[in-house]
Amino acid sequence: MREEKTRFDFNFAQLRVLRAFAVYLFCGAFLVSGCNKNTATDSSGAAAVQLTLDWKPEPEFGGFYAAKQDGAFSRHGLDVTLTPAGEGADTWQLVATGKTQFATSSADQVLIARKQNADVIAIFAVYQTFPQGIMVHQSRGFKTMGDVFTHDGVLLAEDNAWLHFLENKFAPVRVRITYYSGGVSEFLAKKDYSQQCFVTSEPILAKHQGGDPQTFLIADEGFNPYTTVVICKGDLWRAHPDEVRAMAAACREGWRDYLDQPDPVNATMHGLNADMDLQTFAEAAAAQKPLIETDQTRAAGLGTMTGDRWKDLADQLVKLGVIDSSVDPQQCFVNP
Amino acid sequence: MKTRRTIFSALWPPAIVLVAAVLAMHVAASVLNESFLLPRPSAVAKVMFDRRDELLASLWTTAEAALIGFFASGFGGIAVGMILSASPLVRRAIYPYTVFFQTVPIVAIAPLLMIWCGPGLAAVALSAFIVSVFPVIANTLSGLLSTDPALEDLFRLYGASRWARLWKLKLPMALPSIFTGLRVAAGLAVIGTVVGEFLVGLFGPGEGLGVRIVSAKKQGRTDEVFAAVLIASLLGLAMFAAINLAAKLMLRHWHASEQDN
Repeated sequence: MREEKTRFDFNFAQLRVLRAFAVYLFCGAFLVSGCNKNTATDSSGAAAVQLTLDWKPEPEFGGFYAAKQDGAFSRHGLDVTLTPAGEGADTWQLVATGKTQFATSSADQVLIARKQNADVIAIFAVYQTFPQGIMVHQSRGFKTMGDVFTHDGVLLAEDNAWLHFLENKFAPVRVRITYYSGGVSEFLAKKDYSQQCFVTSEPILAKHQGGDPQTFLIADEGFNPYTTVVICKGDLWRAHPDEVRAMAAACREGWRDYLDQPDPVNATMHGLNADMDLQTFAEAAAAQKPLIETDQTRAAGLGTMTGDRWKDLADQLVKLGVIDSSVDPQQCFVNP
Repeated sequence: MKTRRTIFSALWPPAIVLVAAVLAMHVAASVLNESFLLPRPSAVAKVMFDRRDELLASLWTTAEAALIGFFASGFGGIAVGMILSASPLVRRAIYPYTVFFQTVPIVAIAPLLMIWCGPGLAAVALSAFIVSVFPVIANTLSGLLSTDPALEDLFRLYGASRWARLWKLKLPMALPSIFTGLRVAAGLAVIGTVVGEFLVGLFGPGEGLGVRIVSAKKQGRTDEVFAAVLIASLLGLAMFAAINLAAKLMLRHWHASEQDN
């Protein structure tokens, strides 16, 4: 009589495959559970959080590296991991999806995020004056920002709100616009190229490499969002206001340290970002001081923001069609 | 000759899969409820309708670059394949280096492309060419070297010149392989175009699909990202279908691959 083969009569080879599969599933379960990114406390009781930076380690983040190096974070009970995310990462999406607790972004990005129903808020603003500009070759003989847009040539820029603002202001635009991916090498290679820049870094870098840069500040044209703002989820502010206060206070101390004594922190950042030489780090740190410390911050504290500035920005973005009027600027920030 | 019944039986399985996929996407998007991560299919359809003029303009821009790159790969790849098949010495010397076309990361050479040609059509079409040329070279070469030796001997016996052997025997026999290479190159040309546009595309009215994808992503408009990606895929599909049609027309009378059994 033939033996009945039931469904579960596996032969030896099949059993080995099943066993391997079970082992992988088991290990996979451990890996997945280890990916939990909720705020945990480390062994010393400090809250372990991540601050994701939206560019490479440069003087624009000096205060954060100072807060880590000089112990400001740990004094406020925070164990912060600084993660440079590289070019133009959409950090608000990382915060909104819980991949990171804190990140740096800009005020216009926060408004765009809130339009997409992502509940992110700004808690600390490094730059009171928008530090972005457009860098051109002096040999072109441009007198104003408008000349850049109304003459032939190529402009390397990221597709951000300020670009739409300037394209609108100087329409019709003749310059050809394409992506800016960092550095100054394309700018130096071609005389008819212009590029976006942080007025405190790329022009200095270009000059050191033999270029003849001339910079126009975007804030002078009337577009002035807070920049390098620390953001977090609105939920975090409502559920753990102390943690948010601690982060803001630690950032304030770190930036105070960096403004007073940039050199040790510059050395650390240069070790992480060799694209920029130490001399440029020092010059950039000096050049950015008036953009960070103003009369308003001397009165109210480093990093504080006002509702009027947020409202002006929101109005501008509504006019450009980037957001609609349903975004409430008062909901976008706190001064913890 | 396909009857109506066979056309229907060819269409309903992929149609069922499509409906299931759209439903799954709708459910996932509703559960996730973060429109900037995964949009609902209805939102994608809406933006495709609302912005149809802009998306169509983007499609023409991308298609122009993709087709230029593809035809350059096609003609260039076949020509290089023919040259390599002619001399074993040349083949051994050059063929290994053609692989560089496949392995070079476009992200790394895009700045160079931009400096040589300026941003825009030339650089993007060049990107499409670089990414799609190698399969054409490899398949053309393989097809030309696979001629039946008995048939080659037959041609030689009849006194056919080298050129006649190439034109009347080897090339026609290689056509199925060449078409395989072209099919692969079509999809790669679209990918190369879109990636090129990510890096060196021009902003502005009529900007390509790749530029639109990056802009929309920056503004959190994921429904537009999905719409642009879908349109780019359809472009690749259209090119693929066109090549299949060409293969059918050229091979249907004499090659087994295009004859219904």
